[in-house]
Amino acid sequence: MKGFLGVDVGSVSTNLVVLGEHGDVISLIYRRTQGQPINAVQEGMKEIQADLPGDIEIIGVGTTGSGRYLSGVIVGADIVKNEITAHAVAASHVVPQVRTVLEIGGQDSKIILLRDGIVVDFAMNTVCAAGTGSFLDHQSTRLGIPIEEFGSYALESTVSCQIAGRCSVFAESDMIHKQQMGYRMEDIIYGLCQALVRNYLNNLAKGKELLSPIVFQGGVAANAGMKKAFEESLQIEIVIPEYHHVMGAIGAALLARGTVRDGKTNFKGFEISSIDYQTRSFHCKGCENNCEIVRIQVGGKTLACWGGRCGKWEVATAEEAELLLQTSV
Amino acid sequence: MYFRGTWGCNLALSATIGIPQALLYYKYYPLWEGFLKGLGAEVVSSNVTTKRIVNAGTSVAENELCLPVKIFFGHLIELKDKVDALFVPRVISVEQGTYTCPKFLGLPDLARAVDAKLPKILDPTFNTRLGRRHFYEALFDFGKTFTNSKYKIWRAWMTGVAAQKAYQKKLLAGVSPLEALGGDAGAILSTGDLKIGIAGHPYNVHDPYINLNLIKKLKKWGAQVVTEEMILPRVLEHEANKLPKRLFWSYEREVVGAAFHWLQTRTVDGIIYILSFACGQDSLIQVLLETEAKKHEGIPFMSLVIDEHSGEAGLITRVEAFIDMLRWRSLS
Repeated sequence: MKGFLGVDVGSVSTNLVVLGEHGDVISLIYRRTQGQPINAVQEGMKEIQADLPGDIEIIGVGTTGSGRYLSGVIVGADIVKNEITAHAVAASHVVPQVRTVLEIGGQDSKIILLRDGIVVDFAMNTVCAAGTGSFLDHQSTRLGIPIEEFGSYALESTVSCQIAGRCSVFAESDMIHKQQMGYRMEDIIYGLCQALVRNYLNNLAKGKELLSPIVFQGGVAANAGMKKAFEESLQIEIVIPEYHHVMGAIGAALLARGTVRDGKTNFKGFEISSIDYQTRSFHCKGCENNCEIVRIQVGGKTLACWGGRCGKWEVATAEEAELLLQTSV
Repeated sequence: MYFRGTWGCNLALSATIGIPQALLYYKYYPLWEGFLKGLGAEVVSSNVTTKRIVNAGTSVAENELCLPVKIFFGHLIELKDKVDALFVPRVISVEQGTYTCPKFLGLPDLARAVDAKLPKILDPTFNTRLGRRHFYEALFDFGKTFTNSKYKIWRAWMTGVAAQKAYQKKLLAGVSPLEALGGDAGAILSTGDLKIGIAGHPYNVHDPYINLNLIKKLKKWGAQVVTEEMILPRVLEHEANKLPKRLFWSYEREVVGAAFHWLQTRTVDGIIYILSFACGQDSLIQVLLETEAKKHEGIPFMSLVIDEHSGEAGLITRVEAFIDMLRWRSLS
């Protein structure tokens, strides 16, 4: 049995997906990154290997997410792609006619517009994280309600309660005020969902034409209150794909499927989960910028380096990296 | 008198004058260098922006200023111990009926207010609003700092003008400002399958530090890059005049003119607009450009807002996705 592996290392979650040759999901893993991307990928590889049929042969690997370069080196990626492209590819695979993709992840949110299967416009949050998953995460901790139950609470709301969502810090003060006024918890939680949706639409969707079908993906799509708030605000039905939380990984696997020819994959095998990887950083002394360079090593041998403005550290092979290290540090 | 020379005494003929490699450097360096050398001065410019320069500039600048002005201060500090005087002209207006950025109007004053001991600041005024006579009077007045010979001042100016013309001709032919000025621009031949128009102020577009090496990255990813310098001034003028109301800032008219030209002629696959977070004019023309770009379906437009806090990761993700989007289109 042949399959394609997709790895999405984000700020909050690390997701792995193995797709069959026809793009069907064979296995998936969703786990928290917890600030340790290498560990998260290795543990994820262990878990997914245990879950996969024994005769699986990985014939292509793609990585995406903010940790895409790191994970690409570890698993041996055939393609390393940004998360915007990966999400767009996955959405149009699941809903071929999709014209709008709303994606809200841990620390960033995106909107992608497609027409006739082609990305025509996109936007990503820049200066503020108020419209992202960590906003809800933070509030759920404060309210003492598990984030998984947020949706069901929100759906119980009967009277909407306006929360200032411009900034997550001010939203919190506003929420405390609403609690002290005696508003019901359900109404406050739904109010939060509405605030997040308002913030998202104002920041990212500003001036854009949101046409149906609209696909809503990313970890936050699990929250039924968010779906309801989007539908109320846009007056359009929102589609939430079955695997909404791992769409980035699905996109990466699909991209790998489109890249690998003749079965020549760089995949390093599931054994990588037991290798001891070390990352080191140092300041390059090549010029006055003194860029901070990260290097990933196994047993004292450099696998890859990155960072730095000039791009000289993003060299193709490990040997070249080793050579460069000797000459310029 | 509208021209206020604040340098006071005459400078020695062999004085070394520093020109910071920031802001209008990318537009007028050959003119200024030719002029000052013609007057008998030694001219040195600072090097490309580095982290040290940025840190030096941001630590002395008013917080509300835009990043390019802060970096300008960093270059002044970089030069201060190497020169007898710094050249910080007050560029008020470069064509009839328009102004430049308010910060350029007050640049020498801002520089003097910087919290660092700087050498003498030479601030000739360039103002064409008041007509030719005033412009040249100011020029002669400034030239008197070096020589009493009006002929020599005139000849120096004409040397600068000739150098400037040659420079602009090179830029028009597609040479980048840093290449044309002899610096390293990491010249990679543009043979890409995509053509991307980079709109924005030259000091943002051509300073690799400010834009996190955007142009080099685009070229590496196989895109050809075109900028406003490669378009004839009269074409920029013609396109910018399509706005219902005349913009009263010259340099912004050029940015608008370039973007409108690319949209109109459909000669690029996409446009990336680089703007400074704290820039008033940029915030205004961003809306004008986005509105116009919407009318031209098929030419994606993306704004990249940059300040000293800009992270490279977010920028790379956006630019990569933008390139993917353009490639995806051309495949289908």
